[in-house]
Amino acid sequence: MSRRTPGVVPHVLACLDRDDVVADDVTSGHRLEVSAVEETLEQRSERFERTALPFLDQLYSAALRLTRNPADAEDLVQETFVKAFAAFHQFQEGTNLKAWLYRILTNTYINIYRKKQREPKQHGVDEIEDWSLARAAEHTSTGLPSAETQALDHLPDSDVKDALAALPDDFRMAVYYADIEGFSYKEIAEIMGTPIGTVMSRLHRGRKLLQKALYDYALERGIVRSSTEGAQA
Amino acid sequence: MSCGTPHVDCGKVIEAVYLYLDGEMEDDDCAEVRAHLKDCAPCLREYGLEEDFKRLLARKCGCETAPDELKSRVMTRLREVRLEITTVEFRTD
Repeated sequence: MSRRTPGVVPHVLACLDRDDVVADDVTSGHRLEVSAVEETLEQRSERFERTALPFLDQLYSAALRLTRNPADAEDLVQETFVKAFAAFHQFQEGTNLKAWLYRILTNTYINIYRKKQREPKQHGVDEIEDWSLARAAEHTSTGLPSAETQALDHLPDSDVKDALAALPDDFRMAVYYADIEGFSYKEIAEIMGTPIGTVMSRLHRGRKLLQKALYDYALERGIVRSSTEGAQA
Repeated sequence: MSCGTPHVDCGKVIEAVYLYLDGEMEDDDCAEVRAHLKDCAPCLREYGLEEDFKRLLARKCGCETAPDELKSRVMTRLREVRLEITTVEFRTD
């Protein structure tokens, strides 16, 4: 092998998508000069184990929500760590490592699993359902009586996870990253590689779909009564 | 929708519910929303519902623990990758 690529295994490099690992805005706005300090492989491994590996449980949770099954989630997490390690010399300590890892996870998922699943085309959802149109269609934001949201608390965790799993990919990711991981819109935009407006639109639509799904679960389980029944009673 | 408080439109307040709850709103705007909510029961109710829902999700879909087997798998794989890197660097030197 004559090409010299310090610190990166060629075959690992070959499977990396450029977008997966680019050190950009997600790392807090100002890019530091990469490779200013020579780091030995030993040091890099130590730094990786110390800073990146602690995210394993969190990444696994996200991977489970993305792939919707434990076996694929485990493969996705492993692949994410391999890619992250291979590109770790590009990452600057002190910048947003969590968002960087989630970006690799998300892109890996999109590149491998979404293709594999051959899902019906989901792009275009954002465009078809214009943000303001969707908003105008709803006079109240949830449509649920206030007591009913509290009642949703009585739903088993599995119902909430199932409802989340049933959302289209892009909506599921946006809602998961905002509500469970607590990422900012800007971070989600960087992680998903979309404009902030798209993130907001996906969040809005995703939350509405989820609320409706949970309300339906609650109706089925008799936890809430339908609003028409309530009105008649 | 109107609650009789003329300074801020209820529609605009409801529209901004996620910006507010997601912590994406400027301080001045937050203060304006809070002032409105103080006087407007319907908007306050909506904000409460959305906040409850956000919390519900975080509670029900929160952190899972990765199986120990995955942790050791990842460590093993990383050791392999390291070894490959070492070999490549050795060869190129």
